[in-house]
Amino acid sequence: MEFLKLNIQFFAHKKGQSSTSNGRDSIGRRLGAKAADGEYITAGSIIYRQRGTKIFPGVNVKRGNDDTLYATVDGIVKFERKGRDKKQASVYPVSE
Amino acid sequence: MIRVKVEKENGHFKKISILGHAMYDEYGKDIVCSAVSSIVTTTINGILTIDKNTITYLASSKGLTIRVLSNDRVTQLLLNNMIKLLKELELKYKENIEIK
Repeated sequence: MEFLKLNIQFFAHKKGQSSTSNGRDSIGRRLGAKAADGEYITAGSIIYRQRGTKIFPGVNVKRGNDDTLYATVDGIVKFERKGRDKKQASVYPVSE
Repeated sequence: MIRVKVEKENGHFKKISILGHAMYDEYGKDIVCSAVSSIVTTTINGILTIDKNTITYLASSKGLTIRVLSNDRVTQLLLNNMIKLLKELELKYKENIEIK
């Protein structure tokens, strides 16, 4: 039987298996559309949650201070183009 | 955690397994692992210096297992001393070593 070689880290957690300082992430903010195109919504309803203006406020739509788009009247939601490469969301009241 | 399992027969050591990692600190700074490694290596090499046929050992990434082939007094005394030292370590570092 050979002598045992002295390795004073024989019972240590091997290199490369140590923990990293990464591994944290924030909870998903559930952004995106909350009302579909052509859907009937009431005044005050949220249409689109976003950071910045991926989609701009159109007719009868306002932007909250967290950039959320919401309807100011009851009506049908319409996602439309705005200029060459932008989009906007509008709400058109249903004519009686 | 390092788990030390002692098996005896008629009061004599038969098999000692020392498995796991101390997890006291990062590799290279783990003082508990260093103490255990030194105690065990000193004992094994001491016994083999006296008589190469009284024990065998198997070292792997999981740990180390010692099989005792002889009940001679010196081997038993050296192993007993090893276990006593590991138990002293256990008193101070319960989170890192456990002897059964």
